[in-house]
Amino acid sequence: MTINHETIEDTEGVNFKDADLQGKQIAGLLDAHAKRLSMRTLKQLEIGRARAVKAHAQHISGVSTNKDGTLSGIFAWAQHHRIASTGLILGAIITGVVLVQAFGQQQASDAYLLGADLPPEAFVDRGFEPSLNDGKLEL
Amino acid sequence: MASSQELSDFLHDVERRAFKQTVYAVRDEHASLDIVQDAMMKLAEKYADKPVAEYPMLFQRILQNTMRDYWRRQKVRNLWTTLLSSFGAGENGEEDRDPLDTIDVGDESENPMGQLERSQTMQMIEKALEKLPARQREAFVLRYWEDMDVAETASLMGCSQGSVKTHCSRAVHTMAALLEKQGLGSRALANLGVES
Repeated sequence: MTINHETIEDTEGVNFKDADLQGKQIAGLLDAHAKRLSMRTLKQLEIGRARAVKAHAQHISGVSTNKDGTLSGIFAWAQHHRIASTGLILGAIITGVVLVQAFGQQQASDAYLLGADLPPEAFVDRGFEPSLNDGKLEL
Repeated sequence: MASSQELSDFLHDVERRAFKQTVYAVRDEHASLDIVQDAMMKLAEKYADKPVAEYPMLFQRILQNTMRDYWRRQKVRNLWTTLLSSFGAGENGEEDRDPLDTIDVGDESENPMGQLERSQTMQMIEKALEKLPARQREAFVLRYWEDMDVAETASLMGCSQGSVKTHCSRAVHTMAALLEKQGLGSRALANLGVES
């Protein structure tokens, strides 16, 4: 472990060289202690490393796979949670707007039907609208 | 571009330190394992085309950012947990223990008294490190444990070199004072086999 010791002193008059030496001592102990991990932790770290190396090798070769081993394709974006959740929220908003509009149109047509002078049966008659447009029908 | 073998060697070198550093920061071993594994994957997937010389800085940056993401998620989760805790039943605190969790892999040549003394000292140091403010701990770990110079540490932390020096100095003095209080001055540390 090599450390460049600065002999600069800060405004409080603390010598950084002494701090570096003490810091290095403590870090040395921590470093030695870090080598003593449980077998389970070491195994988990080894698994994580193996996954990372596999992903790296696939990235280099240009072939990428999902976690379940299948090739990632057009739905690869679904692996990115932010993109997937943003897409879901946008989809829900668009569906909501379309539904509200459809419901509004239905309400408007119902109101027109109820407010008209003609009986509702007249609107069901297929020949009624062309006759109305042609002006042949006299009310 | 680094080869897969170079990446494997690099990760093998740093994984234990990275795990311990994360444990000191988030205080949860399971979460720390997830964070380190995430950081490894991000390095492999997003920086596969970088040379191996850039890996130490990149990995530390990824690790620190992944820790911050974890803290943000924890903050939101804690908020919801607090709000919903009155509706839920109490958790069963008893968990199954696996003997593998407590078996340490290390040097067994030391005598039991020495191991005990060293273990107690390490507990004190770890507690002192955990008690440090996040920025001081980050500066200490990067500067002394990861052996980065002041400029590299400043670049990683996104602050000035002067701030790094101040953080490091305060961290060391806080830890030294705590250890001194426990009768572990710099001489005692040196006697534990730490080269300075």
